[in-house]
Amino acid sequence: MNPAGLHTDLIETLSLTLVITSVAAVEMRRLKFSIIAYLCQALLIVALLLSFASVNHALYWWAATAFVTKAILTPWFLFRAIRGVDDHELKPVIGFGPSVVIVALLMITFFRLAHGKVALLAPTGLAQLEVFRTNLAVASTVFVLGIYAVLTRRDAIKTVIGLCLLENGVHLSLVSLAPGLSETALFGVATEVVVTVFLLLYVIGGVRQVFGTTDTFRLRELRW
Amino acid sequence: MSAEALTETSVLPAAVFLLPVVVGAIVISATRSSRALQQWLSVVSMALVTGLGAWMVYRSLENVVLTAWHSELRVDALSALMVVIIGAVGLLASVYSVRYVDAHLTRGPAAARTSTFYGLLLWFLGTMLWGCVTNNVIMLYVAIEATTLTSGLLVAFYWDRRALEAGYKYLMLLTIGITFALFGCVLLYAGAAGTNKLGGESALLISNIRRVVQFIPSRTAAITIAFLVIGFGTKAGIAPFHPWLPDAHAEAPTPISVLLSGVMIKMSVYALARTVSIFYPAWPQVTVFLVALGTFTMLLGIILALEQNDLKRLLAYSSVSQMGYILAGIGLGTYLGCYGGLYHLLNHALYKSLLFMCVGAVMYATGTRRISELGGLKCQMPVTSACYFMGALALAGFPPFNGFWSKLTIYLALARAGLWWAAVIAIVTSVLTMVVMVRTGYKVFWGNRLLSNTAAPDLKEVPALMFVPMTVLAGLCALLGIYPQLPYPLLDRAAGVLATLGR
Repeated sequence: MNPAGLHTDLIETLSLTLVITSVAAVEMRRLKFSIIAYLCQALLIVALLLSFASVNHALYWWAATAFVTKAILTPWFLFRAIRGVDDHELKPVIGFGPSVVIVALLMITFFRLAHGKVALLAPTGLAQLEVFRTNLAVASTVFVLGIYAVLTRRDAIKTVIGLCLLENGVHLSLVSLAPGLSETALFGVATEVVVTVFLLLYVIGGVRQVFGTTDTFRLRELRW
Repeated sequence: MSAEALTETSVLPAAVFLLPVVVGAIVISATRSSRALQQWLSVVSMALVTGLGAWMVYRSLENVVLTAWHSELRVDALSALMVVIIGAVGLLASVYSVRYVDAHLTRGPAAARTSTFYGLLLWFLGTMLWGCVTNNVIMLYVAIEATTLTSGLLVAFYWDRRALEAGYKYLMLLTIGITFALFGCVLLYAGAAGTNKLGGESALLISNIRRVVQFIPSRTAAITIAFLVIGFGTKAGIAPFHPWLPDAHAEAPTPISVLLSGVMIKMSVYALARTVSIFYPAWPQVTVFLVALGTFTMLLGIILALEQNDLKRLLAYSSVSQMGYILAGIGLGTYLGCYGGLYHLLNHALYKSLLFMCVGAVMYATGTRRISELGGLKCQMPVTSACYFMGALALAGFPPFNGFWSKLTIYLALARAGLWWAAVIAIVTSVLTMVVMVRTGYKVFWGNRLLSNTAAPDLKEVPALMFVPMTVLAGLCALLGIYPQLPYPLLDRAAGVLATLGR
């Protein structure tokens, strides 16, 4: 434990594992496994929030909200969306091999960049301390992996998982950047994500019903 | 203005957005209620909101800032302007929707969902109003994302191939975009808190952040501005983040298109202006960037509009173009620029709502919105025809309509700031807008009668509940054109809030 009262080793281990779950959520070709990877990430976020909560008690509330919205509701909606259908992801724009290489490069580059140039993202003294610095670097990496998934995946369900990663990245950064955020604001931010996922999956359900597929490349009725 | 303004605690800032939210919840849960009751509740609640907005305008002209919930909600002249615009356009769209819904949403898969339609419509308006009265930077993000969530199902309401595609793109692209805005808002808060001049939750209040923004490190400020521009700019339809806009605005039911183009994108540019304008004094180079983005948007939007054969998509692309004017004006940061930008925001809300209503009327009467299938409607639809041309000329900036004065103000502001290139692009865009709008109007209303409408001998003007809102808006376009000084007192104060670079 460091002088600030935080379990630094534990937090760093959780953070590293969290990045790996992002890679798994992006690269798993079976949607079921991808959702499980996302669920693991959600649980890791809750564990991280609890670790930070030992010095900032407001984060207990944030951890509880994240548990309900990210670890229960969002995976539940995602599992419901793939129930009764083939859960193999539609072939993405970039094949598995090149994609793993790109993801690895993105992961290393952004982690190093965000960790090394943390002052760019961390205007507070607290956020520049080592463990918060790692947290911000992890948050940025998860954010970038989420963008990558949204841009390169043609399966609508997979793009929703990418969107969830993107949101997780931003939410994780709140630990370092906005530790004093009020419960109302945290509740608003967390609730909106889960409602977004619900609505998107509802519309994707309609797309599957009408178009017979969740392939976003087939959504070409509206051009110019 | 805010330095000398009196602050007064009031329930109005909360009431103005809670009213439509609560009524919307009642409407959406009363699935067995009659359609007439849902429509009546919608119209009455928006009439009340407009009344509250008018009262807020009156108080802001008395130099009073209304606050609630420990300054979490704050209504100055700028917020009052936005509230009254959203209230008035919401009221007219609600009235217009009555016959539109009767004709279009009482058959097919949408038939059983009119309570959902009106409930979501009220929530959509309520969340927009919330965004305009909140003073909390994180809740500003929450409110703007809430407008996406409440309107997402409205965009996909017809539940056919086109509507579902538009709905998916709308929800996905706007959520991604607005996530950038969340990051920007968090950085803004963290930057303000990091100055050690604001403690705890006071660093969340925009009215406080603007006092310490010059102490935020420049690199953090640059990233914050970039995230805010990408995030709120996506929602405002600023190029190159605009691809969702033509799909959503075209495929939504027309009363929703009126709200999307008439007020929602304005509310997003309001959020952009509220948050980014506070950086102008310390980082004036931001203004050139915003003006460049605005001119790019205005030109690209109108070039894309030139190719359209779908009336609603044409208007949607023209909205992209007009948002460029607003951004160029507000982005300047000078009093004249902000005045022109806000004046154009007001004018565009009026004439774009009018034009979407006219297109809805054409669709109501003919069943099509393809320009190539329409022609010679002026005899059967004289009111719609006259209203369309008034709106089109106002949009093109033709005197004596309101658009002329706001565009002229923006040209003068750009020239006065030495940005002649931007003024020239704005004038060229205006000429192109004139070509697009008049050519389309001529084809649809004055051109040869085509087979599609000669085959419909019973073609006639739309019902009064549809053309009355259109005539009110057309009248306002003419009134504000003939008497441009009418909105001056309010716009003067509202521009004072944004004009951080002084007069």
